[in-house]
Order: sequence, then C-alpha cells, then structure tokens
Amino acid sequence: MTALPATNDAGRPSVPAGRVVRLLVLLAILGGIAWLAVKNMGAEQATEQLFNALTRGAIYALIALGYTMVYGIIELINFAHGDMFMVGAFVSLTFLGQILGLEGAVTNIPLLIALLAATFLVTMAILALVGVTIERYAYKPLRNAPRLAPLITAIGVSFILQNLVQLVYGPYQTNSPKIFPDTWVIQVGSATVPVLSLFIIGVAVVLMIGLQLFIGRTRLGRAMRSTAADRDAAALMGVNINRTIAITFLIGSALAGAAGVVNGLQYGVARFDDGFQAGLKAFTAAVLGGIGNTVGAALGGFIIGFIEVGATAMGYTRWGPAIVFGVLVIVLVFRPAGLLGQQLGERA
Amino acid sequence: MKYARVGAVVAAAAIVVAACGGATGGAKPLKIGISLPLSGSSLASAGPADKGARLAIKDFTLPGYTITADVKDHAVNGVHDPQQGAKDMTAFAADPAIVGVVGPFNSSVAKVQIPISNEAGLLQCSPANTNPDLTKGDAGKQLRAKQPDKINYVRVATTDDIQGPAVAQYGFNKLGLKKVAIIDDTETYGKGIADAFAAEWTKLGGQVVGREGAPKGTTDYTAILTKFKDAAPDAVFYGGVTATGGGLVRKQMPQVGLDKIAYLGGDGIQDGPGSVEGSFINIAGAAAANSFSSVAAIAEYPGKADFDAKYKAAYNEEAGAYSASGYACAQILLQAIKTAASKGDVTRESVRAAGVDTNTTFETVLGPVKFDAVGDTNQKIISLYKTDLTAASGKGDWVFDSQVDYK
Amino acid sequence: MSVVTDLSPKAAGGGRMTGLRLTASRHRSWSIVLGIAVVGAILPVLAYLPPFSLAQPANAWIDGYTNAGVFVLLALGLNLVVGVAGLLDLGYAAFFAIGAYTYAYVASPFGNSVLGINLVESLGTEVGGLVFWPMLLVGALVAATFGILLGAPTLRLRGDYLAIVTLGFGEIVPIVFLNSDQLTNGTNGIGGLLRPSLPIIGSFSAINPWPYYITMLVLVSFVMIMCYRLVESRLGRAWEAIREDELAAAANGINTVTVKLLAFALGASTAGIAGVFNASKLVTVSPDQFTFIVSFTVLSMVVLGGMGNFWGVAVGAFVIYTINNVLLKTLNQFFDQTGFPILKDIDFIQLQFLLYGLALVAMMLLRPEGLFPNSRRKRELHTAITADEQDSLTTAEGTTEEGQR
Repeated sequence: MTALPATNDAGRPSVPAGRVVRLLVLLAILGGIAWLAVKNMGAEQATEQLFNALTRGAIYALIALGYTMVYGIIELINFAHGDMFMVGAFVSLTFLGQILGLEGAVTNIPLLIALLAATFLVTMAILALVGVTIERYAYKPLRNAPRLAPLITAIGVSFILQNLVQLVYGPYQTNSPKIFPDTWVIQVGSATVPVLSLFIIGVAVVLMIGLQLFIGRTRLGRAMRSTAADRDAAALMGVNINRTIAITFLIGSALAGAAGVVNGLQYGVARFDDGFQAGLKAFTAAVLGGIGNTVGAALGGFIIGFIEVGATAMGYTRWGPAIVFGVLVIVLVFRPAGLLGQQLGERA
Repeated sequence: MKYARVGAVVAAAAIVVAACGGATGGAKPLKIGISLPLSGSSLASAGPADKGARLAIKDFTLPGYTITADVKDHAVNGVHDPQQGAKDMTAFAADPAIVGVVGPFNSSVAKVQIPISNEAGLLQCSPANTNPDLTKGDAGKQLRAKQPDKINYVRVATTDDIQGPAVAQYGFNKLGLKKVAIIDDTETYGKGIADAFAAEWTKLGGQVVGREGAPKGTTDYTAILTKFKDAAPDAVFYGGVTATGGGLVRKQMPQVGLDKIAYLGGDGIQDGPGSVEGSFINIAGAAAANSFSSVAAIAEYPGKADFDAKYKAAYNEEAGAYSASGYACAQILLQAIKTAASKGDVTRESVRAAGVDTNTTFETVLGPVKFDAVGDTNQKIISLYKTDLTAASGKGDWVFDSQVDYK
Repeated sequence: MSVVTDLSPKAAGGGRMTGLRLTASRHRSWSIVLGIAVVGAILPVLAYLPPFSLAQPANAWIDGYTNAGVFVLLALGLNLVVGVAGLLDLGYAAFFAIGAYTYAYVASPFGNSVLGINLVESLGTEVGGLVFWPMLLVGALVAATFGILLGAPTLRLRGDYLAIVTLGFGEIVPIVFLNSDQLTNGTNGIGGLLRPSLPIIGSFSAINPWPYYITMLVLVSFVMIMCYRLVESRLGRAWEAIREDELAAAANGINTVTVKLLAFALGASTAGIAGVFNASKLVTVSPDQFTFIVSFTVLSMVVLGGMGNFWGVAVGAFVIYTINNVLLKTLNQFFDQTGFPILKDIDFIQLQFLLYGLALVAMMLLRPEGLFPNSRRKRELHTAITADEQDSLTTAEGTTEEGQR
C-alpha cells in the first residue's frame, strides 16, 4: 500500500522531508554510478547494460509488488509467491506452445499484439484464480494462528507448486515460445537496444501505474489500504475483510503471472525451480523499497536489477546472488523499513 | 509297518539330498552393480550408458555362473547426488554377490564412491568420468588411501586435462578462432574443463578476452554476454552442462547480437538431438547452429554400425553418446570375471586384480583398451562434434566431425 | 488459599504427569540412554529380518540408520531454535556446513595447508583419526560462535523477517564456500578427510558400519540429554517465554538478547557436531552438500515430528529419512520391475518434496503441534478452546497453581 505519511507528536502530518532527502541522495548515488559506468565501459556498453538492468529489474519489480501487497495486508511473507511467478511462466508457455502451437517469432504486428494480449489475459486470470484458491484453503484458516503456522504452510505450498510443475513438465528446462522477435532493435546512440526490453519495461511501468491508480482511487483500493492500516477498524467501517484479502492475493498473483509471461518472452525457457531464487531476490527488492509500499517494491526491483548487472559488469557474476542476499540482510538489520517505508515497530 | 515308515523317511531324505546336491551343482549367482543418475535431467546423458551396460551383461554367458545387473539410481530431484551415490556404493559393498560396479557418471559422485569401493576391494569402471583428480596425482592417491596398492577404479573415458585442450586445439587450429570468452558454471566439471581449455588456448597463442563464473540457477546471461560483446570475441566457450546453463547461454546470444560467433563446449553439452527434452539443441533451438562439442571417448570405431544396430534392436532408440562406453565398461568387468573364473574362484579380489592388470588388453566394443597404473585408459581419443540443424528429421543433432588421438 | 500439597513435577504446560512420563522426567538422562539403547539394539535386529533383509543387505541398513542419525541430530538442534525458542531459522544448513568444513580444515591435507599446520602428514591415519573426538567439541564451538554471529543481526527482528534473514544467510554461506577457491578449494571441495579412529579398534571403515553406528547412538543420546536438560532449566523456560510473548518475557526481566543468542548458539552447536560426523563419514566436503534443500528437509522433520518435543522430533526425523531413502526407492524399484502400468513411470523420489509440501500444509491446517506434540504446544496452537475445556482447566490445575503462587 502507499505508505500513509507519518505524523508527528501533535498529530499533524509532518512534511516528509526525510523521504525527499533520501530519494535525492539515492538519485545522486545512481547518477554517480552511471557516470562511473560510462567512464569505464564506454557509453555504448553502459547503455546496453542499463537496459539489461532495467529489463531484469522490471521482472523483479512485478514479482515484488505481489509480495509487498500481501505483506502489507496480512503481514505474511508468502513464500509461495516466487513459485506463482514460475507457474505463470509455465502457463504462458503451455498456452503459446501447446495450445496455440507456436514456436518462434511472430512478425505480423497485429497478430503479435493480439497474441500478447491473449497470453497476458489468460495467464493473469489463471494465476489470479490459483492465488485466491491458495489463500482461501491454505492461509485463511490460519489467519489467527501463531505466526509460525502460516509461514510453514507457505513453505509447504511452495514445495507443492514446484513439484506439481516438475511432475508435469519434468525437471529439465522447457522451451517457451519467444514470439516477440529478437531481431527488432532500436539504436540509442551507438548502442543496440532490443524492442523487447522496452516492451517489458513498458509493461511493468503500465501495470505499476495501473496498480497505483487502483489502490489510490477506487473503493476496493481504499478498502485494501484501510485493511492494511488497521484491520479491525476497517471491519468496523464495513469493509469485507475476507473479500479484500482475497482481492489482494488476486492482484498480487496476477502480477506474478505477468512477470512469468514477460520472463518467457525474454529468456525463452522455464524450469520448475526458477521461482525460488527469483522469489527471494524479489522479496529483497520489496524489503529494500519498504515492505508494504508498492512504489518502493517497484523501485527495489529496479535497484536489484542494477545490482546484479553491476556485479557482472565488474566481473563478480558468481558473487551476484550472495551480494543480493547480503543486501537483504543489511537492509533488514539496519533499516527494516527500507527506503520508502515507515519505521516499523520491532516486536511481534 | 515300521519298516515302511522308515523306508519312506529314508526315501524322502534321499530325494532332499539329491535335490540339494543338484542345487549346489547349479550356477553361482553374481551381480554387477550399476550406479548412475537415472532420473530427471540426468537421464538424457546417463541413461544410454545404463542401457549399454545392461545390454553387455545380458549378452554375456559364463558357464557355472549367472550374472545379472543391479541398477541403483543416485539422482535426487533429477540431479546426481553424491551422498546418495555413497549410500548406493555402501549397499553394493555390503552385498556379497556384487563383484563389480559400472559407474558413476559424474566426477563429484566418484569422489565419494572411490574411497568406499577401494576399501571394499570392489572393481569399479566409469564410462564417463573425466576429472583428472580421480586417478592422477595426489588427489587420486588420496581417494585410494585405504588400499593404495590395490587400485580398483578404472575408466574408459579419457580426462578433462586432455578434453579441454582438445577443444581448444580444434577451435584454434581447425576453426581458426582467435579470441574466446569463457563462461563456466562454477561446478567441478565445468570449472575444470574451462580452466584446461583456457590454459591451452593461451598456450596456442589465442586470447581469452573474458571469463565469468555463473552458478547454476542463473537464468539471465544477457549482462555477461553484453560485457563480452565489447571485446568482440570469435567464440564463446561454455564449461558446464546443459542443465546448468549451457543451452541458455547459446539461446541468449542472438538477443545480444552475438549469434554469428561460434560456441564451444565439452561433453556437457553433447547430450543428444533436439528431440530430447532439455538437451542443448532442444533449448538453444535455432541458435544451436555453429556450435561444437566433444566427447571424451572414441566415436568412429570399427564395429560401430553393428553396435548401433544391436542397441537399436534391443531398445528401439538410437544409441547415445555414452552407450558404447557403458557397454565397454560392462565388457571389461565381465572379462575380468571370466579371467578370475578361469584361475579359480570368482571373488572380489580376483575380479579386481584381473580388471586393473596393466598387462591385459581388454577387447571392447570401443576397440582394445589397456589401463595404466592409476586406472586411466590408454585410449586417449577425443571426438569432436558439431551441430547440424537439418539432421534427425529437422530436429537437429550433433554430428561427428573428427577424432584426435592423444596418445 | 489452599495449602500446597502437590509437589509432583508438572508436565510442560501444566497438569500432573503420571506413570511413564513421570518416571522419565525424574530420571531424564537414564531414560534417554535406555531408550536410545533399546532402539539402537532393535534396529539392527530388524535389518536382518524380512521384509527388511530383502530390500537391501543388513550392513546397508545399518549404514542407512547412521545417515538417518545425522538428520536426527540436525532436527534436535533445529528443534531447540524453532520448536522451543520459536525462532524460525530457515538457513540451518549453514551451521552444518561450518561444522563439516571445520573438521575438514583440521583433518585433511588441503585443510592443513590452508591453516599452516601439519597434522595429517605427521600423525597418519590411525593416530590422526583420534582427532575426530576433540573435533566434535571444536566443531560444536565454532558452529556455536557462528550461531551467535549470524543470530546477532536478527535480534530485533520479528518472526517473518528473522526467517528471511536466516534464509539469506543459509544461501550466502554455501556461496562463500563455493567461491573462495584459495581457502576452501571451491566447487571441488576438500577431500581426503581422516576417518575417526579409536585406540584398539583402529580407523573406522567405509564398509563396516558398526563403529559409525555406535558412535551415532552415543552422539544422539548425548545431544538429547543436553536438549532435555536445557529445556527443563531456567533457560528453557525463558525460551518458551519468549516464544509465547517476547514483550511480556522482557517485561518480566528476561534478557531476550542473551536468551535468543543462546538459542542460536546451542542449536548451531548440534549442527556442528552433525557436520563433523558427516564429514568424517563421507570423507569429503563440498558446498553442494549444504543447500537449502537440507535446511528445508530438517525443518519439515521438526514441524512434522512435533515442535518442542525432542523424542517426537527424533522419531519424526528418523521416519521421514527412512521413508525418503528406503521406502520411496524401493517403491520405485518394485514398480519398475513388476511393470505396473502407470505407477512404474512415476518417480517416487521426485515425489518426495511434493509429499513434504502436502504434509506440511496438512499438518499446519489440522495438527500444527506435530505428530508427537508437547501438550502445552498443543493447547497453544489450538487456541480456540470451548467453555467446557476452560472450566476443566481451572478446576484441575488452577487451584493448585494459584496455591503455589
């Protein structure tokens, strides 16, 4: 949820000066890194790596949104969320590959647009359904149980999803039709940027803006915000808590599904264990940006993308995962609220 | 009455004695263990070796003995698991009927199995292990530490310290490539072969313009490839197997604009035609063109056509890269058993001694094989393959290019 | 206020213990030793009887029991952290790795060269193997130290965050071992570890399972005794207090920092012991032995066995391990050989994690206290109690406890 502004002791909303300052510092750091990058790699490389980072970050951002929404509303880290992303990748590859029988790039633009729209719709709808079902049968009964129980259930659901997919598709990588042609590129200066990258970044941005509008301007969005802020008060105000939570899962899972489609378009493969690492990194992104804060989750996703690509650019690819998880630990220990979040209380 | 009853008992006893006597005069059961990863993503590469070995065992007869195969799959969750391999080897060691083991497929499993089989004095033949540390040098000695004078491990595949350089020589000399960028999967096999390749490449006069380690689980190689693009390599070498990224790297090269350059790898990416799920050609698809790999074993040998036909008749599928190696390993074990039987009793020790004897030449489907003092084969042949996307009815397959003898 | 007459020990969670549990709690250490001895004697006997003897040779069974024992040790330790103290640690395999590598440094040529000592060369295998026994303690201490180091950052974190940080550490530690080639030989791992040895028996063997088996029985007894002692001490009560309500515990004067760090340290020390033992048995350590799958497997064992109950966890770990490694494999082989139509194509081993997942979810929904629960835990987790139950609680125990106040 978009964080409510902090209030000072007099109850008046205080000017979020701290947040603005932090954002400026962040931008300054990013600017400095960009300058260093161009100096070391040359503008062409730097631009291309920039788009690589944005593309990767877009995928993490989409997954992170789901994590942050669910955590904001029921304070549960949904371990199975990363696997929802994986399921989304498999749904889209089944739809495109097995149902529609496609194999390669589709160059007919109207057809391509229609196919993409259909894939997104179908995948997001199925994932939404799966997400709501899981919430209803595995998490809802444990809403009032001690914290450990739903966490462990989530781990169990993660195992189940992974292994069901493994049973059906096998443990090897499965091909996902790359219907978006790789050959479409545009030139940004001397750099070559694939149109696919721009498409993915665009999809992520559009979905995020859509989400912000939904949360900020619609009734359901208001219901979600109020449930996140104070569940009992919201219930007293007539909000249907069960439905609100279900809708949160619906949206979060659909976004993970979108991430899965986009992943399939970009990489062309999916495997049953893709969800674990991607999920953990996306969770890092959500935490980095401020858990419960959707803008923060998106921001965090892009930052993680930059960290990974940056590690490669400096020659540390094999340390990449360790660096990301290190960021996770450092943020949680020193600043659990993340970049854009409120200062959370420390006890359960 | 009494005599009749006694007579009946005596008669019954006589029959029982005769039956027992008949039983002990019958065949002695022996077993050959097969320890390979046979599920999930390992099945594509190791399955053919298993089938080859079983075919040899089935075809073999030795009067006075019945020999059967005991297959144990040490893949966990689709991937070879050394701990499971250790358990399986312990189980084999505990079973007195087992007199030899074919396997394993992966060097990391061999590292835990050899100490066990060495202590048990159990002859072990691997169709595919290529890590030099399993036999050579101090590392090899360490594995045999319990009975250093009685080696028990032999292999029909040659080692990565020959395979890596072979690919380097092929790329540099035959394909005329000069600058290479290397990615390895940070695992034992991948890193080992990449290191051997890089060393040879530099020795030949080529340039290694980039080197990155990408652990398994990496899905996005675009950043690494973009970085390599800057250095304008002629080829990318992948140290590792398809499952840890060999196919993905090749698949992503067109996205970064590197599709025109060659792709080199070891036997880790040589895993069958495009119709096999999860194989290199299957994953890389159209991008699999202009790719080259090797197998640490002979490919063109006299009798290959016959073997392929026999294999196809038995299993209704084409022989895989390691089918003949599996068959050969089993042949070696069987020949050792035969030698032991001719000298007296078939025990683990007599089989082992016969199997590692450096003076014996084993006649196998791969040709004559002799083992050196540490168990490595004298057949140091590396076969080189290239992809042909029109083969295997359009699905694409690896086709044999040449083989080099490094003796 | 009634005079206190009933001084009999109370079961965890109130209520009077009777019979076996009473005797067991009075003579805790002896009952554990006896229990383990009985189990330890029965299991090998079973290995010689059909149907067990038909599945694999007896020695293989005993070797399997010993391997199961490693997981029992891990589960006992994790139970301290998760079950008793309520700290969800998802990266437990890191401590297992630390114990194993600690042993590798002292007991292998490569490790010796990194440390700059010359133990293996100078002592040889027979004498060098004696180093295993003190290394059990050293491994435990090193792991405990890392338990404190990795636990310290999590002190102020809530349950979920704590879980994620431990998961992060659990991922980072193997990656560090993997990438630090100079120090750890990277992906190749460290081989040539010394097997344990004893004065008369000599060096343990790879094919004779008995020395390892008996050592494992001793280790399990020892660890179990320690666990029970800890839980029945003030520290154990402090752990249960912070598990149930940390704020209230702190308000009651419990130093939550020390208590939590001790939970991590002691839990990690068990994993350290298991790591040393496992390394000495496999004679090689490599980073891929310590993946998150190990952490999750041990967690499943703790959850399914009954968080907080040590015997339950031990039995649960043993049963799950055996099901995994023997039953599922045997099912595979059986269906393969007999050629059942659909069943023979199913890889039961692949199914194992699906079964874990289903079991975890089912457990949490139906019986979160595990298969062999601790009665207080059971009450805590089934929080909705009816009016009748409420009444019976106050009449049976309430008066006595109030009287004691």
